[in-house]
Amino acid sequence: MTVVTMLVLAAAAAAYLVRLVRGPGLSERVIALDGLIVVGISAVAVHAMSTGQGAFLPVLVVITLVGFVATAAAARFIERTDGVDQRPGDAR
Amino acid sequence: MIGQLLALGGAVLILFSALGIVRFDDVFAQMHFLTKASTLGVVLVLGGAALVMERANDWSSLLLAAFLQLLTSPVAANLIGRSTYLTRVRPIQGSTTTPVE
Repeated sequence: MTVVTMLVLAAAAAAYLVRLVRGPGLSERVIALDGLIVVGISAVAVHAMSTGQGAFLPVLVVITLVGFVATAAAARFIERTDGVDQRPGDAR
Repeated sequence: MIGQLLALGGAVLILFSALGIVRFDDVFAQMHFLTKASTLGVVLVLGGAALVMERANDWSSLLLAAFLQLLTSPVAANLIGRSTYLTRVRPIQGSTTTPVE
């Protein structure tokens, strides 16, 4: 059961990674990163459930809060730019 | 056993959310998947793990993480959507929207 749950989570992480690579805008990438944070939280919780070791569980609270702050900061950053993911040297 | 089943259901919901984010090209459509399916999925996973864990120190951390996720996820999606709208990206397919500000 735990193996199946982890495999499903891995498939979800792969799908989020596809969106993270493909973009095309900044908002899509931020959304994909937020989804990857969700997958990470779930993986830690499933691992703790299967082993019975709860030593890493307070980390989940921290990851949740840091993920929210990161998303809020990225949203502010998107407002400053024009929403186009630009790299140095890109001709626009 | 029931905790493991809940966690599996939550993982499947997270997978659905990821597939929706890959499938749709519109940012405003993707945010529905990130906020609805994915939040319910992670709350199910954390709740199922909280049912399994026995020490109070463990399941209280899990429940606190689930509560915080439930609290912050809609706000984060709203912030992304607002900033995306302010950069003059508009929803595809001519849906009726009201102007911000």
